Amino acid sequence: MPEGKFCNKTPVNTQEALEAVLGDKGGKQYYAEMLELDVDKAKLATSLKNTCKSRIRTWLEMCAHCGLCADSCFLYLANDRKPEQVPAYKIQSTLGEIVKKNGDVDNAFMRHAMEVAWSQCTCCNRCGQYCPYGIDMGIMFGYLRGLLYSQGFVPWELKIGAGMHRVFKAQMNVTDEDWTETCEWMAEEAQDEWPGLEIPIDKENADIMYTVNAREPKHYPEDISEAAVLFHVAGENWTVPSSGWEQTSLSLFAGDWEACKMQVEHVYAAIDRLKPKRACGTECGHAHRATVIEGPYWAGRPDGLTPVRFLHYTEWLEEALRLGKIKIDPAKRIKQPVTLQDSCNYIRNYGLKEITRNILSYLVEPGYFVEMSPNKEHNYCCGGGGGFNGMGIFRPQRNRALMVKRDQILATGCKLVIAPCHNCWDAIRDLEEEFKIGIKWSFLKPLVISMMIVPEHLKPKEEEE
Amino acid sequence: MYQIITGPLLWLTFAVFFGGLAWRVYTYIKGLDWKLDRVAYGTQTAYGIRGAARSIAAWIVPFGSQGWKVKPIFTILFFTFHIGLVVVPLFLAGHAVVLKMRFGIGWPTIPMLAADILTVAMLCAGVFIIIRRISLPEVRIITSLYDYLLLAITMAPFVTGFMAVHQLGGDYEFWLLAHVIAGEIMLLAVPFTKLFHVVGFFLSRGQLGMDYGIKRGGMTGAPMTW
Repeated sequence: MPEGKFCNKTPVNTQEALEAVLGDKGGKQYYAEMLELDVDKAKLATSLKNTCKSRIRTWLEMCAHCGLCADSCFLYLANDRKPEQVPAYKIQSTLGEIVKKNGDVDNAFMRHAMEVAWSQCTCCNRCGQYCPYGIDMGIMFGYLRGLLYSQGFVPWELKIGAGMHRVFKAQMNVTDEDWTETCEWMAEEAQDEWPGLEIPIDKENADIMYTVNAREPKHYPEDISEAAVLFHVAGENWTVPSSGWEQTSLSLFAGDWEACKMQVEHVYAAIDRLKPKRACGTECGHAHRATVIEGPYWAGRPDGLTPVRFLHYTEWLEEALRLGKIKIDPAKRIKQPVTLQDSCNYIRNYGLKEITRNILSYLVEPGYFVEMSPNKEHNYCCGGGGGFNGMGIFRPQRNRALMVKRDQILATGCKLVIAPCHNCWDAIRDLEEEFKIGIKWSFLKPLVISMMIVPEHLKPKEEEE
Repeated sequence: MYQIITGPLLWLTFAVFFGGLAWRVYTYIKGLDWKLDRVAYGTQTAYGIRGAARSIAAWIVPFGSQGWKVKPIFTILFFTFHIGLVVVPLFLAGHAVVLKMRFGIGWPTIPMLAADILTVAMLCAGVFIIIRRISLPEVRIITSLYDYLLLAITMAPFVTGFMAVHQLGGDYEFWLLAHVIAGEIMLLAVPFTKLFHVVGFFLSRGQLGMDYGIKRGGMTGAPMTW
């Protein structure tokens, strides 16, 4: 059987198809069909010819097999230093073979490559930092994921995730109506405590256009109201778009480059429509990667930049604290040992290491902030990056991967971990669930709200008795 | 025989060596694609050059990068091997003599003792690199016969040269010829094997430096500490 009903080479493009794949609980039939899925070798060879150019070919050819990448890989460390987890081995035995054989590989090989690409690499890009040649195997695994996706060899959840972006322009089934209703609801709820608070939708020429992760309207709407409270207190002239509000990209994890382009162009269209001075996204790592770092290239922008300056949430918050738009009550600062999770996507891969530390200098009583080791751009992945958090078949591997972060946190002795990234936040929640080490974890927004000084004029008026 | 291998054949070797490397550089740069690589090489060139320079500088200096710092023993082996490999052939008095005689070019040289020390150190480092390949599981799994062949090609000119210079192993003529041929084999192998990293290192390290310098934080964030 060449193509399955669910497992095939065609992306999910309609709501009907999406619901059908979702109906196959846990992807049981999907993975059964994958056992029979044909490899379109001619198409694979054509893809290689058109997209595998000198950078990747040189990386594959020149690798000196020195093994310096081994210790750089947290998955190698998490798996008892199994030689099969050495990054160079992982990429040479998958993408390397495909390139060597010019696409002449079989079904079993592709299924093995899928397992390696999604359960033995989170595309954290740390190996590239430790390779003398700068061979970035995270980039190559991203590329391999694209090849596998185009052949239908992709974990069930990510086929769905990419389909969500194609159908809903969001990683979850949240429509624009759901989104604007959630904003209105959140604004209404918050107004008792914050008179005058608004979540302005589609306001043109605002100073900031704010974008989110779809799971906020879906599962954590309080995150939106927290963002609104902080913009309100900072006196920011801000807005959210009614459409183009979703900043994440499960299609990035899936290797669905077409959906990546559609998604990010949707966000840029909102910028073009509302003409904000700047944009800002929520506390999410891969959303920033998708919209700000890779996005301009998917959208074909030759300068590699977003249409307007696009901040990560930590950049906006650091600026608000530095300019005194938000003031912290010194008495309420954190007075317990606290550590910080550096997200790969905007620390290693966007250089915001000093920004997050500046924020902590406002929030944490001096002497209580404990760095992880290693840290900053050399930090290890949380254990759940690159889609690892969300794939049922690779759950045991993901749980094992969390052990490195667990040990890093334990070594700090801290019971509180600040994790300004949805993926890291989830992974740290899951590691607490899995290993019960007695920690708490938090985004920045609720912490700042709990310790900021609220200006008198923003407080609710005492009701006259 | 000696006339041929140090005359026309040497010329041919140099032509292939330099021509081949030039071709490597040309095809690498030509194959860079700002859309596929997702790096704006053409429009953000200044950031790119800065990023490339930082990336190369951190790795070309012993202990200049985090990667070197966490592996001190390998770093010492690595630099001992490469310094010997580059310095001895370039500045050996015996080579300068040939240059002077054949082409009339004056060339700086290092003392014989220094050349001997560097050669022996380089060969010892090479032996340890081989032992490391065999004994460490994480290196063994990615090692193939090809890797040993390249080490043999690289070390042969030094072994034979040392034998010839110090008149060891009896037959001087034999070792001298073996040395010249081994050296030519090495130079010929460079463009066609992964030894092309003599230019490839700068290209590849530079490329990742550009990636970080342009896209991954170089334009807005704090610079990467390699």
